[in-house]
Amino acid sequence: MPDFNASCLRIFFIAQNTAREAARQKLFSFVLILAFALVLGARWFRDFNFGAPELKFLADCGFGAMAFFGSALTIVATAQLFFSEIESRTALTLLAKPVYRGEFILGKFLGVLAVIGVFCGVLTLLLVAVLWRREGELMAEFPEAFRSGRSVDLGTVVIAGGLQWLKLAVLAAFTLLVASFAQTQLFAIITGFLVLVICHLQYLAQDAYARSGTWLGRMGGAALAAVFPNFQLFALADSLAPADGPAWGDVMRVVLYAGGYVVVGCALAVFSFRQREI
Amino acid sequence: MKSKAWALLAVTVVLASAGAALDRMVQPVWSAARARQPTLRLESATAGLGQGVTLALLGGFRALVADLAWLRMYVLWERRDLPACDSLIRLVGTLDPRPLDFWLNGARIIAFDFPVWRIEAEGGYERVPGSVQERINREQALAALRHLDDAMRFHPRTPDLWVERAGIELNRLQDLSAAAESYRRAWAEPGAPYFAARLHAELLRRVGRRAEALAFLIQLHPALPPDDEGAAAPRVLERIQELERELGVTAERAYRPALAAPGRP
Repeated sequence: MPDFNASCLRIFFIAQNTAREAARQKLFSFVLILAFALVLGARWFRDFNFGAPELKFLADCGFGAMAFFGSALTIVATAQLFFSEIESRTALTLLAKPVYRGEFILGKFLGVLAVIGVFCGVLTLLLVAVLWRREGELMAEFPEAFRSGRSVDLGTVVIAGGLQWLKLAVLAAFTLLVASFAQTQLFAIITGFLVLVICHLQYLAQDAYARSGTWLGRMGGAALAAVFPNFQLFALADSLAPADGPAWGDVMRVVLYAGGYVVVGCALAVFSFRQREI
Repeated sequence: MKSKAWALLAVTVVLASAGAALDRMVQPVWSAARARQPTLRLESATAGLGQGVTLALLGGFRALVADLAWLRMYVLWERRDLPACDSLIRLVGTLDPRPLDFWLNGARIIAFDFPVWRIEAEGGYERVPGSVQERINREQALAALRHLDDAMRFHPRTPDLWVERAGIELNRLQDLSAAAESYRRAWAEPGAPYFAARLHAELLRRVGRRAEALAFLIQLHPALPPDDEGAAAPRVLERIQELERELGVTAERAYRPALAAPGRP
């Protein structure tokens, strides 16, 4: 039985090293700059906006950038950081020391979690700043439209950013699970993207199977929904109006849902990695 | 190889068991979210946008993709491509149901433009028999009303949707009673325009329900701000007097405006 404190320390060091490696990669900087540019540049896309109120449009662009680039970053960084240790044989050296495979997997996961946490945190802060500034300008320009005060609840923006982070955490756990048995990095990345697509659209498949009316179809739909988390749930804070903010009870349920999938995903990744020959 | 297959099976079974338990926990949240958001139907409409829609669903660029779909719809509208326009109008509502303008303009196109295109495609107003024209107008008006019904699921307290509905019932279906009722529903919502109340009374008068119209206007008039041109309080008073004359109301029982401070009923 490993000493718990020492084990936590080893996980921390692996996570720290993983996060440092990820931050050094060009991919992280590239994705962050692209997402940054999109959030800042959303104001210049306003000419293409025909329906949504301007602030909602800006927020949608910001969360779109966070989800799109964040997913790409999560999948690629998780697979790359996992396989770089195996391909460069540093995993062998590391695991020859008193480092358990479970600690290696958890360290990798926490490292990626920190990186995507920074990504989502920076973008959320940027989005809050952009929305705050633009709303101030609009308030000065059209005071009668803001008679009842500000229309964007910045707390909801922060909650939405946090939910995006949780979604990416689940995605990282699943990518790590795939990487734990995959033979190549490319396979892990492609499967990671497939998981992303399935998790976003699984409820449609579930509906389609349910509509088929057959016993087998319903079972298939239920199995699909059980194996893959529903990523549409993480868009809970869709409206930015103060009156439409998500209920705390709902947010907590989604947090527990994400936490449950992360725990199970990581535990299965550890199980799978322990069977693997390096 | 065999042990790997077993491991994979074990992983799937554990994941499915845990997922089923977690799914039950978030079921109320998911049901509420689905009630708020459109059921994302990807059957036929997605063909018009292909990967853009997938990007919107996966990445969250809903507003941007809905805007681009609307832009594309306008291009097709200029070409009078009815099936593609119809698909895109529905797709935009599905992708991003929040902007009211998409719903209102979509309903107008379905109710007022599509019948013209269909009649012209069948040979033009000169050649298509009146009964066929009437059937087409009716079909399109009903389709527009269904579109507005969808909109009301997302914007339940919006007078503009009821006003639009009334306009279609009045101008395309010539159903004055239904239009009167829709104007009444519009007026009952916060922020409704004053003309909705006046039109409600006017349509009641036209269908012969003059006593009802008079009672409504008598209730309405004291609530109208006299210095607001849009409220048209003097015009409403004139209409009350006209109705009283038509109904033979005696001078003693006739409405006399009080000098009370106005406020919305």
